[in-house]
Amino acid sequence: MSKKPVYTLVDELPQRGLTVMSLKALDFAVPGAWDNLTGFVNTIKVVTGETDEALIQTIGERAITLYNDKSEGYQKALWLYQTVDGASSALGAGMLANKATENISFLGLINKLTPKPEKAQSFDLTVKLVVELVAFCQINGIPGDSIGDFLGAVKDYGGESLMRMAALVCYDGLVPLGPGFAQKGLETLKQSSASDLDSNQTFKGVKELIPGDRDKGKLAFITESFESVQDWMVGFVGDRGLTQDKVVNSLSKAVDLSKDKLEYLGAFLDVSTNYYEHTGIQTLTRRLIERAAAEV
Amino acid sequence: MVTTRLTVTTRLRQLLAPLLLSAILLLSTGCTAFAPPAPPSQFEQVQEETSGRKAESAVAEDATQGSEFNRFFPRSVAGYDGYQVVAAQEKKGFAEFKVNKDGANVAVLSINDTSSNPGAATKYSSSSREIQGFPALGIGNNGTGVLVGDRYQVKVQSRSDSFSADDRDAWLQKFDLQGLSKL
Repeated sequence: MSKKPVYTLVDELPQRGLTVMSLKALDFAVPGAWDNLTGFVNTIKVVTGETDEALIQTIGERAITLYNDKSEGYQKALWLYQTVDGASSALGAGMLANKATENISFLGLINKLTPKPEKAQSFDLTVKLVVELVAFCQINGIPGDSIGDFLGAVKDYGGESLMRMAALVCYDGLVPLGPGFAQKGLETLKQSSASDLDSNQTFKGVKELIPGDRDKGKLAFITESFESVQDWMVGFVGDRGLTQDKVVNSLSKAVDLSKDKLEYLGAFLDVSTNYYEHTGIQTLTRRLIERAAAEV
Repeated sequence: MVTTRLTVTTRLRQLLAPLLLSAILLLSTGCTAFAPPAPPSQFEQVQEETSGRKAESAVAEDATQGSEFNRFFPRSVAGYDGYQVVAAQEKKGFAEFKVNKDGANVAVLSINDTSSNPGAATKYSSSSREIQGFPALGIGNNGTGVLVGDRYQVKVQSRSDSFSADDRDAWLQKFDLQGLSKL
C-alpha cells in the first residue's frame, strides 16, 4: 500500500498528461461533472467553501488522522484503485513511469501493443466495476438502513466518481467491446469458470479484497454485481447517445490516433493512463474531507 | 597508421571518459542541488503523530456505531419541497446524509460521536444560543452545529449559496435531538 501521506498524493495529482486529457475528452458525455480538483488544501477549500485558515488546518488534520488509521478503509480503497489500474496494464513499469507526461504517442507505441482479447477485456470491465463497489464501501461504509438507501447512495454519483464511471463505460466497455459491451461482459462471466477468472491479471491483482468464498464465490459476487448495474450502464450510454465513434472522435482531438488501428486503442489507454487511480484519489479525498469537516 | 589511429581513439577515450563522468555527476547531483527543497508541509506534524506504529485509532473504541444515528436524521422538512435526502456515509462514530435539489448537492447533514476528537465538543462552551434546548454554534462560513448530551455533534453544512444559515437552523430543528440525547 502507498506509504505517501494522503496530502502528498493529492498535491502530486497531475494537471496535464494523457490521463487528464483522456478524461477531459469525455466531458461531452458528462458535461461539467469533472474539473480535475487537485491539491489537498485546495480540495478542502473547494469541498467545504471554508476560508478560515485555522478551520482548514483542523479539517486537514482530522482527515489525515482518519486516512492514516488503516481500519477506516481509505488506504484499502486507494490500493484497490491503484492495483486495478496497474494490473490491467500489459506493459512494464518503465513505460508506466511516463504516464504523467504527454510524451507517449499512440502511433509510437503501437508496435509494442497487443490488442487485448475480448474475453480479457470483458473480465477487466467487470472486475473494475466490482472494484468500484468494494472501494465505495471501504470509503463510505454501507450508508443508510436499507438496500434502497444503499442503492440511492451509489446512484448519487457526481463529480470525479461520475467521470470514472463514464471512463469505465467508454474506455473499458464501448470502445474495445462495442455497443453490446454490457451484455458481452455478463455473457463472459456466465460462461467462465473460476479458473478462467483466476488467469486474468486484473482479477488476480485485487482478488483478496473481493468478497466471496474462494474464486468460485468471488466469480458469483462479480457476476451478481455486474448484473445489478448492467441496466444502469446501458441507460448511461443510451441516455447520453454515446457511440464508439463519438468517443473516439472526441479522444482523437486530444491524442493523435490512427482510426484504422482502433483494436489497439484499449491496450494503449491501459498503458498510458491511470484514470481509476487518478479519480479514485480525488473521490476518497473528497469523502474523507467531507467526513473530517463534519467531525471537527 | 592503424596503430596511430588506435592510440588517438584510446587517448580520446581517456580524456573524454572523466569529462563524461563529471558531466553525468553534475547533471544528476544538479537535479537535487539546484531544485529548491520542498517547504515542509503544514500537516507534517499530524502525519508523524498518526502514521507511526504507536499511533492511536482515529475513532474511539467505544464510539457509537454510525447506524445508530440514522433514525434521528430528518428525511424531509416541511416547507422544503423538492429536496431529496440521500444516505452518504456511515462509519463507526459517524453518519452523513446529503440534501440534494434538482440533482445538485445543496447541503450535508451529519452526526458524529465527539469521543473520538473531544476538541469538537469543547468549542460549544462558547455557544450563546440553543436549538431544541441544546447549545448551538456557527462553524466557519457554511456550518451550524449543535452539541447533544455533551457528546454527539449534529451539523448542517451548506454546499450551495442557496442554502442559507436560516435553512441550516430549520433543518437542525427537524433532527430528533431529544431521541439522540437518550442514546
